[in-house]
Amino acid sequence: MALETELAAALAAPPRGNPAIDFEAWALRVFAHQYERNGPYRAFCERRGVTPRSVASWHEVPAVPTAAFRRLELACGPPEAVFRTSGTSGGPDARGRHLVPALALYDAAALAAFERFVLPDAARPPWAVLLPSPALRPDSSLVHMCAAAADALAPRADWYVGADGLELERLLARLADDERSGEAVLLAGVTAAFVALFDACRARGRAFRLGPGSRVMDTGGQKGLARPVSRAAFLRSCWTALGIPAYFCVNEYGMTELCSQRYDSVLDDRFHGRSLAPRRLVAPPWLRTRVLDPDTLAPVPPGATGLLCHHDLANAGSVSVVLTEDLGRLVGDDGIELQGRVAGAPPRGCGLLLAELGGA
Amino acid sequence: MMRLEVQTREALDARVDAALLARRAAADLPILARAEALARAAARWQRDGRLADVLVDTTGFSRPMIDAVLPLAADAFAASAIVALVERELGAGAIEKPPPAGPAMVLHVLASNVPALALPAIALGVLVGAVVLIKSGRDDPESAPAFVEALAAERPDLAATVVAAYWPGATTVLEDAALARADVTVLTGGDAALAALVPRMRGRCVLHGPRTSIAAVGRGALADAPTVAARIAADAVLHEQRGCLSPQTAYVEEGGAMAPREFADVLLAALETARERLPPARAAVEERAAVRVAWDAAEHEPGTLLRGAPGAGVILQDAASFRPPIGGRTLRVHPVRELGMLPGLLPMGVVECVGLAGGDATALAAPLLARGVARICPVGRMQRPTLSWPRGQHAPLGTLLGRPAEPCLEIER
Repeated sequence: MALETELAAALAAPPRGNPAIDFEAWALRVFAHQYERNGPYRAFCERRGVTPRSVASWHEVPAVPTAAFRRLELACGPPEAVFRTSGTSGGPDARGRHLVPALALYDAAALAAFERFVLPDAARPPWAVLLPSPALRPDSSLVHMCAAAADALAPRADWYVGADGLELERLLARLADDERSGEAVLLAGVTAAFVALFDACRARGRAFRLGPGSRVMDTGGQKGLARPVSRAAFLRSCWTALGIPAYFCVNEYGMTELCSQRYDSVLDDRFHGRSLAPRRLVAPPWLRTRVLDPDTLAPVPPGATGLLCHHDLANAGSVSVVLTEDLGRLVGDDGIELQGRVAGAPPRGCGLLLAELGGA
Repeated sequence: MMRLEVQTREALDARVDAALLARRAAADLPILARAEALARAAARWQRDGRLADVLVDTTGFSRPMIDAVLPLAADAFAASAIVALVERELGAGAIEKPPPAGPAMVLHVLASNVPALALPAIALGVLVGAVVLIKSGRDDPESAPAFVEALAAERPDLAATVVAAYWPGATTVLEDAALARADVTVLTGGDAALAALVPRMRGRCVLHGPRTSIAAVGRGALADAPTVAARIAADAVLHEQRGCLSPQTAYVEEGGAMAPREFADVLLAALETARERLPPARAAVEERAAVRVAWDAAEHEPGTLLRGAPGAGVILQDAASFRPPIGGRTLRVHPVRELGMLPGLLPMGVVECVGLAGGDATALAAPLLARGVARICPVGRMQRPTLSWPRGQHAPLGTLLGRPAEPCLEIER
């Protein structure tokens, strides 16, 4: 655990949320650590003839496909937590499991990135969380991430998804209170829950004007939606239903198999003089993403579409390089755009949390 | 080329009206004359050099692949097969007579997975005396008009009964216009496309949704494993493994001259050789990514060994089971104790064709028919059906004519 502890300290070091990380050095060190302690991963590497001695750069560390998380116990030690992917079909085989031996590292990574990309103005509003509580879904990495971030960064957090789904009446009452108080609020949750909220507002002819600095953090995209909603339409609804402008709406991209997350750049850009920069999903410095050609697994030219392959140092306790079933492209020097999920890949993702709990 | 793009409902209606008039004028033409004209048109169509050039562009297939698959489409029009089909379905002597009473118009909405799907569609409609409206798929809008052109050079009166059209998918006004005129609609495509169209039909409906095919290798055939493997590889590689007749899995009987695991290596070598002869198509990143994801997932299935890579790959699995197809020129290999176990492994209504090497087609016929299989043939012949192929177990002519029929299975020996 020494490496994980050291890395957690490095990620949490000041300036918080943006520490200097020698990615290359850490990547090679973490790979050697995983090769030594993670038996299934070592076997995977050996089948490819790769060892820590043969790897000279972080690009060369073998990537494990997400499918492997459905079958293998990929961990460097006994897990402190086991996170499971969401999915409503395909049976247990279709659900991936991420064994996390060092929750402190997970929390350090999650907190630092959340603070940087969702609260770059150092605001500390109370939270309304459109997710099941940790007690209800202890195996959801998204729920854990939100709980950890709320514990550290929010004066108060209330959870609005119960065993039967989204608790609309309670949420609407809360938003009415927030509107009256004029104080900022942070709404965090799956996109499908927000869409259900917007639909309810429309059906009742209700619209809120939440206090200045209120913001939305949504995740999950189209997964689990009862009807397709474009990103532009989602952002319009944030304004019309909640009074939250698009530049305070941050989309999150995470995976059960990763300890780190990417976030919409919009708020970080706004508070750092880059308001005209294009929206993109940006990452903390310990998470890098390559876009790979499906045939050769070599990087595609900049801007071209390919399979997303994440290299997450915060995954030091399991496997750091994860080849996803997501298609996307690089945007600018530091961002990606998610373009969808590969056809035929099993349905999964936090967007399905709500559907599993009785629908939106 | 003559890509016949239709822009308005009025234009489509006018073309259908003209074809209906032509149908009336040609009503007395005997089926034999129709069959002969169709066979000559197919040969003419195959010689059309412009078509091959266009198909390389629109389908993304390599030129050697186009050159390999165009003859397959034309060869399906063998006169002897048509005569046998007509006699079998319509009775002795029917070939000398005009078509029996049947639908005034048949609409075919075609998929894009393989080129030249329009040819059998047109031929069967012409044989039953119907107007045939072809809505081509996006990747092959040219084969149908090229065939109509070829038919016009042989029998302009018959060509006038065929309307080859193209419009982009989900052009609702044109789809609805076509569906409203059709007495029979034959839909080929993915589940989403079918679901969008079926509720809007007026007439009878024949659906050809996604299906797959398999090869079965009896232990006796393993004495000449390289030949068998080359034939299976050819069947898989033709049409880039995208068609319902493309084998995705080979079941290999244990106890022969070669173990299934060794046969997997021979099959890989055959796929690699086929790749040299028929270079892969230009494929969209989405399609290639789907193959990669499925391939990677297979690596972690219990009892699985991977050989090669997507593009020329074999997935050897210990368990005798049916697994979803991967495509991208990859073949799963499963050992089976006895080929007689094979029908019990197959899900209902999923497998279109079984290519056999060394097995007993007669013994397998009844149980495979019960599982929804429509065709049994030797390996190496899987991509070479004639017009008599009862696709989806539908009698080719009887289905268009609305005649009740039992599910069909064709055995080619």
